Amino acid sequence: MMQPTASPTQPCNLTRRAFVKQAGLGAAAIAASTLLADAQSAAANSEPTPAAEDLAVGVMIDLTRCNGCQSCALACKVANRMPQPETVPTKLDSSALSFVDTRQNAAGEAVFVKRQCMNCVHPACVSACTVGALRKTAEGPVTYESSKCIGCRYCQYACPFGVPAYEWDNVFGLISKCQMCFQRVAVGQQPACVAACPNGALHFGKRQALVAQAHALIESMPDRYIDHVYGEHEVGGTSMLYLSAIPFTSLGFPALGDASISRYAEAVMQMTPAVAVTVASLATGIHLLLRRRQRVAEFTFQHEQAKDHLETESKRLDPRTPE
Amino acid sequence: MSTKGLAWRADPLPKSVPTIAWVIGVLGFVTFAGIVAGVGRLVLGLQASTTLNDTVPWGIWIGFDFGLIAFAGAGFTMAAVVHVFNLERFHAALRPALLVGLLGYMGVLALLVLDLGRPDRFYHFILYWNLHSPLFEISWCVLLYTTVLVIEVSPDLLRHLKWRWPLQVVKWIMLPVTIIGVTLSTLHQSTLGTLYLNMPHRLHPLWYTPILPILFYVSSIMAGLSLGILAYKLAARIQGFKEDPRVVTGLGTGVMWVALLYVALKVGELIWAGELGLLAGGQMGWLWGAEVVLGALLPAIMWSRRSWREQPLVQWVAPLLMLGGVLLNRFSATLFAQLFPADMEPYTPHLLEWLSTIGVLAGVALAWLLAVRFLINREPNTH
Repeated sequence: MMQPTASPTQPCNLTRRAFVKQAGLGAAAIAASTLLADAQSAAANSEPTPAAEDLAVGVMIDLTRCNGCQSCALACKVANRMPQPETVPTKLDSSALSFVDTRQNAAGEAVFVKRQCMNCVHPACVSACTVGALRKTAEGPVTYESSKCIGCRYCQYACPFGVPAYEWDNVFGLISKCQMCFQRVAVGQQPACVAACPNGALHFGKRQALVAQAHALIESMPDRYIDHVYGEHEVGGTSMLYLSAIPFTSLGFPALGDASISRYAEAVMQMTPAVAVTVASLATGIHLLLRRRQRVAEFTFQHEQAKDHLETESKRLDPRTPE
Repeated sequence: MSTKGLAWRADPLPKSVPTIAWVIGVLGFVTFAGIVAGVGRLVLGLQASTTLNDTVPWGIWIGFDFGLIAFAGAGFTMAAVVHVFNLERFHAALRPALLVGLLGYMGVLALLVLDLGRPDRFYHFILYWNLHSPLFEISWCVLLYTTVLVIEVSPDLLRHLKWRWPLQVVKWIMLPVTIIGVTLSTLHQSTLGTLYLNMPHRLHPLWYTPILPILFYVSSIMAGLSLGILAYKLAARIQGFKEDPRVVTGLGTGVMWVALLYVALKVGELIWAGELGLLAGGQMGWLWGAEVVLGALLPAIMWSRRSWREQPLVQWVAPLLMLGGVLLNRFSATLFAQLFPADMEPYTPHLLEWLSTIGVLAGVALAWLLAVRFLINREPNTH
C-alpha cells in the first residue's frame, strides 16, 4: 500500500499527481490484461469445435410424411420410462418428453407436428443452468443430469421453444426434457422415436448430411415443401430439422433469428473477472486518494494554525515591539 | 476514533420516543402467518401452494426477491459513500443502512428457499459450477456478500457483548472487507440484469437491451441510496436522536444524479435501438413511463432544488417513489413485460404465495426495527 508519510519535519516524497498516475496505470494495466485474457479464453461449452460439427448428429422431421399415428410419442414414453406409457400426450410436461401436436392448414386439414427438445447447437438452457445440470455433448444431444438440478426453472425462461417442463406436482420435483436418447445414440442406435416411425417421417444421421438431404428434397419437390429447413439456422442451429408444406409459424414454431439466445449473456459473464478487478482497484484508489487529500488538508490547516500561533507569540515576546 | 464504543451500554431512551409496540405486534403477527404459509409451501409442494406453471415459472417470490436485492443495496451504497468516498459526515446513516443490507439479504434467502423447486439442494451451486450462468454468479456473490455484511454489522454486536479482541480484528479488516463488499455488490447487482439477457425472445423490447446489466446496477444504487435515506430518518425516530438535515439533503443530491443518469440511459438506449416508437404502443408504454417518469425523473426533480429537498414531504416521498420504481422494474422484467401467449390465463398468485411473501418482508422490517431499537449504538458519531 502506498502510504504517504507526511510530518512537519519530513516532506512527503510521493506527490499526489504521481500517486494518481501510478494507481491509475496499475488499475488500467490489470483491467486491460484481464480483458485480453478473457477475450482469448476458451469459448462457451456450447460452442461446437470443428471436429464436433462433423460428429454432430441430428434428426430430420418431414412433417409432410406424418399421419399422426403417435408411434413416436408412445415409444418415447416407453424408452424413457415415463408414467402412463399408454396415454397419448397432448403437450410437453413432466410425463411427456415429446408429443404430436395437431394443427390445421389453410384448407382445414389436420397437420401433425412432432414437438420435443430441439437439442440446439448453442443451447441457451446449457448457458443459463445455475448448476450446469444441462450439458451440450460433442455428439449433439443436450443432456440433463437430474441429480444436480435444484429446480430454479431458469432454463424454462432461457429456452425459446418452451421445452423444459417442471414437475409441479412433486414436492421433490425436477425438470425434464428430451435428450435425443443420447445413451442409445452413444452405442450407435437411433433415438426411440426415429426407430418407431412407420412412415419414414423421421431420419437420424449426421446433422450436416441431414441439412444437405433436406435441401435436396426441397429442390427435388418444390410443390411439396416450402423452401425452409426449420432448425438449420434458427438461434444458431438446432439438431432437430423440420420440413413442412406450410409456413412454420402457422404450426406453432416461433419465428427466431439466427443469433444464439445467450450470446449477450455469455459476453457479459466473460467480463466478470475484469469488472471485479477494475471495481476493487478503483474503489481502493479513490479511497486512498481522498483519504490522502483529507490528511493533507488537515496537515495544512494544523500547519497554518501553528504558524499563526508562532507569529503572535514572537510578536508578543519581541522586545522591540511597542506594548 | 472514540473509545466510548468499547464500553457501550444501552442508555435509556428519552420519554419522547414514540412507543412502537403496536407496530411490532402487527409485524410479528404477519411474520408468523408468513412462516406458517412458508412451512405449508415446503410440505405441500409448488402445485398446491402456488399458481405457477410451465408458462409462468416465476411469480411474486422472484419479483420481490430481485426487488429486495436492489433494496438491500442500501448496504453497499452507504458503505461506499462513507468508506470509499470518505464522506464521514454521512456516518450516522451507515449503521441503519448496513442492517437493511444484512436483514434484506436474509429475506432474499428466505424467498429463494420458497421459490426453489428443490430447496434441499440450495447448496448445489457450491459443488456444481457453471461459469456462464448469471444465476450461478449471483448465488456465489450473495453467499460471499452476506458474509461481508455480517462482518460489517458485527461491531454493533461485539460492542454489546464486550468482546474486545474480535472487535479490534474486525476494525483492522473493515476497509478491505468494505471494498470486497462493494465489488461483490457491483457484480451481482449488474448480473441480475445479465440474467434477463438470456430472454431476448420473451422480454418486451422496451425492457430488453444489451445494457441491462448497467441499468440494473444504476437502479440498485438509486434504490440503495433512497432506502439509506429512509433508514436514517426512521432510525432517528426510533432512537430519539435529532436528524442531521445535511445527511438527508446530501444523500438526496447524490441520488438525484444517479436517477438522472438512469433516465438518460433508459431513454438513450431506446433512441439508439430505434425503439422510441414502441412507447406509443399502449399498456407497455404506460408501464415503462410509470417506471421511468414516476419512479426516477419525478423524484429526481423533487430533489433538485435546495428549498424542495429540505421539505419532509420530499424527503419521505421521493425515496418511496424511487423504491417503487425499482420494484416495478424488477416485476416488469419478471412478469409484466414478459411476452406470454395471448391466450394464457393471467397469473394471479396463490394465497400462500401472498402470505409467505408478505411474511418475509414483515419479518425483515420487524428484525430491522428491533435491531435499530436495541442493538446499534445510540450515539451515531462513535465508530
